[in-house]
Amino acid sequence: MANSLRLYLACIKNTLEAAMCLQNFPCQEVERHNKPEVELKTSPELLLNPVLICRNEAEKCLIETSINSLRISLKVKQADELENILTKKFLRFLSMRAEAFQVLRRKPVQGYDISFLITNYHCEEMQKQKLIDFIIQFMEASDIEKEIRDLKESVNTRGRLVATEFLKQFM
Amino acid sequence: MAYLERASPALKETLLKIYRAEKPIEVDQHFHEFGSIQYHIKYSVSDPSIVHVSTSTLLETQGAVTLKEISSQTYEVIKNIAVGVIDIVDPPRLGFQLTIGIHLDNIPRGKEAIKIITKISEIQAIILSNQLKEMLRHLNFQDDSRPINNNNNNNRPIKIVYHPSEPFYVFKQMKKITAVFPMNFKDNSDVVIATSFFQEMGKAPQCSWSPIPPLQLRGEPVQDLTTNSGFVSFDITSRHVEGKRLDKTVWNLLNFYAYVKYHIKCSRGYIQRRMRKRMDSLVKLLNNTNLEEEAAQNENGRCKYVKEFVKVPKGKMMMKQRCKEMTRRVKISKFRIKINGCARLRFNQRWISFPKFSSKPSNKSYTKLD
Repeated sequence: MANSLRLYLACIKNTLEAAMCLQNFPCQEVERHNKPEVELKTSPELLLNPVLICRNEAEKCLIETSINSLRISLKVKQADELENILTKKFLRFLSMRAEAFQVLRRKPVQGYDISFLITNYHCEEMQKQKLIDFIIQFMEASDIEKEIRDLKESVNTRGRLVATEFLKQFM
Repeated sequence: MAYLERASPALKETLLKIYRAEKPIEVDQHFHEFGSIQYHIKYSVSDPSIVHVSTSTLLETQGAVTLKEISSQTYEVIKNIAVGVIDIVDPPRLGFQLTIGIHLDNIPRGKEAIKIITKISEIQAIILSNQLKEMLRHLNFQDDSRPINNNNNNNRPIKIVYHPSEPFYVFKQMKKITAVFPMNFKDNSDVVIATSFFQEMGKAPQCSWSPIPPLQLRGEPVQDLTTNSGFVSFDITSRHVEGKRLDKTVWNLLNFYAYVKYHIKCSRGYIQRRMRKRMDSLVKLLNNTNLEEEAAQNENGRCKYVKEFVKVPKGKMMMKQRCKEMTRRVKISKFRIKINGCARLRFNQRWISFPKFSSKPSNKSYTKLD
């Protein structure tokens, strides 16, 4: 793993560890409702300052925290048109199946490619450390970026092989 | 033109159905293929020995060679598919380019029949290939030393439209003929996959890809030159037009659009498959974070040894035992005086009737209370 990536991920991990101390908190506006405050943003006293961690212009992570929920938005590097399309396709594919992930937000926050929403209920059901590890692994080169790089390589390889086969008939 | 197989599957199926039918059946079918090719099959019970097949395709060519009608050479090729079996009907059915009569009685029996019917199903492929073959031959025999001049009508690019959305151009250059395919795709991801494919193709010497149209196409309609995936050009030399190679070259040119589309479709399928696989692994990873699962795992670990010592009766035995236990408890709770050691004596039973709990379904009837 590149050194800069390790630092970037370590920074995100530490921030998440600090931010993920969520507790049950009923809505202050509507009686008998319990809503993620980070989404509604109705009471400023329940929100913490958002943290933006950037590796470069193309790769960044926004962590927004509130008393009962946490929102993590990621922007993934897209070097060229093919990577752009593949990233969009892959992340859309995941977002469409958000119910399988529980913590995945159906629609990413504007300006980002994918968003996670973690509430206090998720923290109660799951192990906090493993949840953080999942998000870090999701971001790591071993997952999203590597997957897209692999996809790009295989699409190009397929293209080359198909082109060779077609042109062989012309030779 | 969008088929990778020469024979039309629908035409082949219908002809085989007619051929294999024990009794003559009335058939009057009209169908389209790929939006540009149409067929009409007519078979009547009154004349059971002959099937009429009519076909037509969109043919718009401009430039030096115009082939609106099927040439005599193509007629010869069609007749030679099976001598004595195919008869060309003149004039063809209204609205069609060609009508042929197939004499079912003259078709030899066995495997040969299937072979002939498959050949007859390739009729459109034969017509289209022959037209392009003639075009290439015609261009090839022209004088090579003639300079390229767009004002000269003989050197103007020929636009070939076998499908309304897939035209391509053929024009002559010094010692070679160039076929240019303007590529257009509806979907953005298709454009990206196709572009990467064309870039790979462009590395070969006989093929080139450029995002802008070649100079020779200057003066052609703007809508034909407006593309989102650029222009792919193939150089055809005299070597490609010699003997049997001509057939291969023509077929490759005709199928280029279909080939690219097929590649894109397969690539998209591959991407989808990979994504599904990756998603499964991510979900598995997330499921490992569940507290309940871990607790269950721990519990399993702890109870493993206890289970071995305590054996709980199952099924009916378990139910009976529960019922007995319940009856016993009720009895004990309803005794007025509890004397240690007298619990087993039954003399109190006449004072009080105890409800009996039974596992038998027939005993579950209700009794009216007075």
